[in-house]
Amino acid sequence: MGKFTAVGSTSQLADDDLKGFEVRGIKIAVANVRGTMYAFDNVCTHQQCPLAKGELEDTTVTCPCHGSQFDVTTGAVLRGPAQDPVDSYPVHVQDDTIEIEV
Amino acid sequence: MRNLFVIVGASLAGATAAVRLREEGFGGRVVLIGEEVHPPYQRPPLSKRYLRGEQPFEDALVKPADFYASNDIDTRLGTRATRIDPIEKSLELSNGDHIRYDKALIATGSRNRRFPIPGQDLAGVYDLRTVDDCDRIRDEVVPGRRAAIVGMGFIGCEVAASLRQLGLDVVVIEGGKAPLDRVLGKEVGQVVEHIHRDHGVKMIFEEHVSGFQGTGSVERIVTESGRNIDCDFAVVGVGVEPVTDIVVGSDIEVDNGIVVDEYCRTNVDGVFAAGDVANHYHPIFKQKMRVEHWHNAVNQGAAAARNMMGTASIYDEVHWFWSDQYDYNLQYAGFHRDWDELVVRGSLEERDFIALYVKDGLVAAAVGMNRGRDVRRAMRVIKARTAVDAKLLGNDDLDLRQLVVN
Repeated sequence: MGKFTAVGSTSQLADDDLKGFEVRGIKIAVANVRGTMYAFDNVCTHQQCPLAKGELEDTTVTCPCHGSQFDVTTGAVLRGPAQDPVDSYPVHVQDDTIEIEV
Repeated sequence: MRNLFVIVGASLAGATAAVRLREEGFGGRVVLIGEEVHPPYQRPPLSKRYLRGEQPFEDALVKPADFYASNDIDTRLGTRATRIDPIEKSLELSNGDHIRYDKALIATGSRNRRFPIPGQDLAGVYDLRTVDDCDRIRDEVVPGRRAAIVGMGFIGCEVAASLRQLGLDVVVIEGGKAPLDRVLGKEVGQVVEHIHRDHGVKMIFEEHVSGFQGTGSVERIVTESGRNIDCDFAVVGVGVEPVTDIVVGSDIEVDNGIVVDEYCRTNVDGVFAAGDVANHYHPIFKQKMRVEHWHNAVNQGAAAARNMMGTASIYDEVHWFWSDQYDYNLQYAGFHRDWDELVVRGSLEERDFIALYVKDGLVAAAVGMNRGRDVRRAMRVIKARTAVDAKLLGNDDLDLRQLVVN
């Protein structure tokens, strides 16, 4: 079991937005899907582009560089060129604070 | 007897279709015929990471080499299909075999165009399509050697960038006024030109090659205006043409490729086409188009597989591709031939922009530099096909998503 680490406030993250955080050296993206937060690696498994700079549509994030798509709820690849999933992390929201378990 | 689906071309489109047939539960026989001896692979790395030696070939494979056998996909590599007879539902192969099929997918792709220029058969004159082509170019790579590139389309641009990154001297000869200017226009073309100039590429525009010269191997390129350009090797990238030889003599309609509808169907029952070779009707743009990019090969190949299985699966993807050059990521979405207005958000000078091609009041296409997110948002505007106010469109502070009426 990892421990939950506070990374920021929900006010930093509008609906359908993404933001990158770093927890103990691990780059993590958080997606706000209509009020529900999902956390996953902020590094595309294809060529290491930051997914938080990509586009979020519903629960799909599209890599800003080469268009790979991942399901933010599981980290699964929906479309290549990436072949491997990204890790996903449990998220807690305590009051307005976003906490990620790493 | 199990149904037999034959796929002609172990290309990205063809291999994706084969994989998708199995993923969708097709239980019949699948035969995948490919002219190259290699398992199906993706070509984008050939002008970039594979060319630069940063990525092994295995990473470019569509699926691991043993995937096909373990998924009951019968691959016939190093074999060319020479003729299709859609009345007999029979395919003739270069080794003399005939295959009787129930449905066929033509995914023969495109071949590099070559103009009849004296000396182009000299050693050291290359073009780039296959991994074998790429290996021949890699053999020439030694820092300080002089490479001449003919044509500054996407392949010429990417090869120029990769060879500069590897420390070679690079000169490019291009017939147009700027790189990519025929496709993207001079405003965007000049941005690309300046990037290459900053990276030390010498570029000669509005100039045509009249010959390759050398004793034994190429030593110089001679141009129509009489210039001599010394080089140690040359790479020619002057466009492609669809490979339609297989349908000669059949009733399958050919017009700038194999003509298909939005379900990847040709005019002949049981024969489909996908990828570079398919001149497909696009229901969003309401016209036919032939697209020579990775994204189309993957998605149209997958759509063709579903349609072969009888799952009516309309193919209406907004076309999209990327081109990486140095640290710049260029992305294009949509489809345009010409435009009334080019609306730029951001700054061309600072190389941080998205340019939108507006035709008849609609956004037909967009090209972005290091703006993947905006290109993705522009795809929604393109797909919506609703009139947009050019002032709003040009306001870089306005989220493009807000221009789409949900």
